[in-house]
Amino acid sequence: MHRTGIRRFHLARDVEEALSLLSAYGDGGALLAGGVDLLRGPPGQVEGLIDITGIGLSQVGEARGGLAVGATTTLTEILKNPAASAYVGGILCEVFRQVAVPPLRNMATLGGALVSAHPWGDIPTALVALGAEVRWRGEREGKAPVEELYRGEFRGLFRSAVATEILFPPWNGAFAYEKIGRARYDIALLNSCCGVGIRDGVVAWARVAVGARPDRGERLPWAEQALVGQKPRESLWGEIQDLVQGQVEVGDDRRAGAVWRRHTAGVLVRRALVRATEKAGR
Amino acid sequence: MKITFNLNRVPQYLDVEPGEPLLSLLRLLGMKSVKEGCGTGDCGACTVLVNGRAVRSCLMLAPQIQGKKVLTLEGLGTVDDPHPLQKAFLDSGAVQCGFCTPGMVLVAYELLLRNDNPTRDEVAEAISGNLCRCTGYVKIVDAVLLAAQWKREGRWR
Ligand SMILES: Cc1cc2nc3c(=O)[nH]c(=O)nc-3n(C[C@H](O)[C@H](O)[C@H](O)COP(=O)(O)OP(=O)(O)OC[C@H]3O[C@@H](n4cnc5c(N)ncnc54)[C@H](O)[C@@H]3O)c2cc1C
Ligand code: FES
Ligand code: FES
Repeated sequence: MHRTGIRRFHLARDVEEALSLLSAYGDGGALLAGGVDLLRGPPGQVEGLIDITGIGLSQVGEARGGLAVGATTTLTEILKNPAASAYVGGILCEVFRQVAVPPLRNMATLGGALVSAHPWGDIPTALVALGAEVRWRGEREGKAPVEELYRGEFRGLFRSAVATEILFPPWNGAFAYEKIGRARYDIALLNSCCGVGIRDGVVAWARVAVGARPDRGERLPWAEQALVGQKPRESLWGEIQDLVQGQVEVGDDRRAGAVWRRHTAGVLVRRALVRATEKAGR
Repeated sequence: MKITFNLNRVPQYLDVEPGEPLLSLLRLLGMKSVKEGCGTGDCGACTVLVNGRAVRSCLMLAPQIQGKKVLTLEGLGTVDDPHPLQKAFLDSGAVQCGFCTPGMVLVAYELLLRNDNPTRDEVAEAISGNLCRCTGYVKIVDAVLLAAQWKREGRWR
């Protein structure tokens, strides 16, 4: 358990100080937020830790009709925040209540989850489904959709940049999140976050994402296209379930097999769509 | 490196290794209620309260508690003078080997500080990250509900 490799610990006062320490250490430095992942890993590589929890990035606020969450805000702080609880019918709380357990949620930050980007994680799937964007400060300032970052080599970026804020856009509709694990406290064997907007009795827009496939959460654009313009009805959910079961890319790992994942992905998408549509109609 | 913090309401000024886990620092300071079960954040045996929030001390380093308030079971009650929450655990038969008990008591304490009338489900959610190999959890939930009742009756000091 001893992290003998760590020689220095810095409590950064602002983003500039965190960045200059990060560049001074080169490969030997790491940003520390909740520490849930960083301090769980094997000791070794990290020589200098830069604690960024005191650099003013822990807040939640409304932003252009959506929500802006500071990167070091803990999952508990988000769960307790009225603006976050109200965002798109409470979807963030629905997801975060299923992440780990209360003491870990007291520690884990949204920025840490975004950067760790566990393929089995609940948060990456939700970020992609909700069209979240991340802002960062490095040599330059940057902003990009999380979905786009996850398609590229984003880990290199955050070795020399601080994620500062996660932006959630407004949605005129509702989302629902479904997760299957072996036990309530366990990580997902498969998860899905889906959203719909209903206008004049038909689906105006749809978002369908599946994660822990075992690869990280991704949208299924062909499933979304198949929903748009359709009247929500029992037979539509059946068609989408069949479509997902036919086309979703899944694989085996030691936790679950591809055959089970393929079948269950269709079921989870269907359940999430039915619940999202019910919520959107309220 | 030098750190200052408050341990069970007593100020501490210490020189620590930057990579020293909070769990081992607390045990070195005599807080033997803080147990290492897994060392990876999974079991909850190492739970302590930092600024009133339950955390895993195996996943924290000593320098992270700079300027903060840490509470361990030793700060709650003693063998001769147990806290009502500890007494509720004993009276309800919620303690067998006792390895998980400090962590269970502290997550329950965090819950009851914010909500002294929790439902069974809310208690189950609060203790969901603390593993017990002995009791089967039912009596632990009973104990927390009994302690909550005592709190509402003004029997907590
Ligand atoms: C026992 C256990 C159970 C878990 N269960 C679940 C679960 O059910 N569902 C789920 O989704 N997740 C789960 N997780 C994972 C956990 O939610 C996330 O990994 C956590 O949110 C990480 O956040 P952190 O703040 O602790 O990150 P840290 O450990 O502090 O950092 C993680 C990484 O991100 C980097 N980093 C952190 N913040 C920034 C920033 N602002 N800018 C740039 N880089 C940064 C760090 O350098 C490090 O590389 C679990 C973890 C554990 C230990
Ligand atoms: S020892 Fe910390 S959670 Fe198990
Ligand atoms: S009483 Fe033995 S582990 Fe809980």
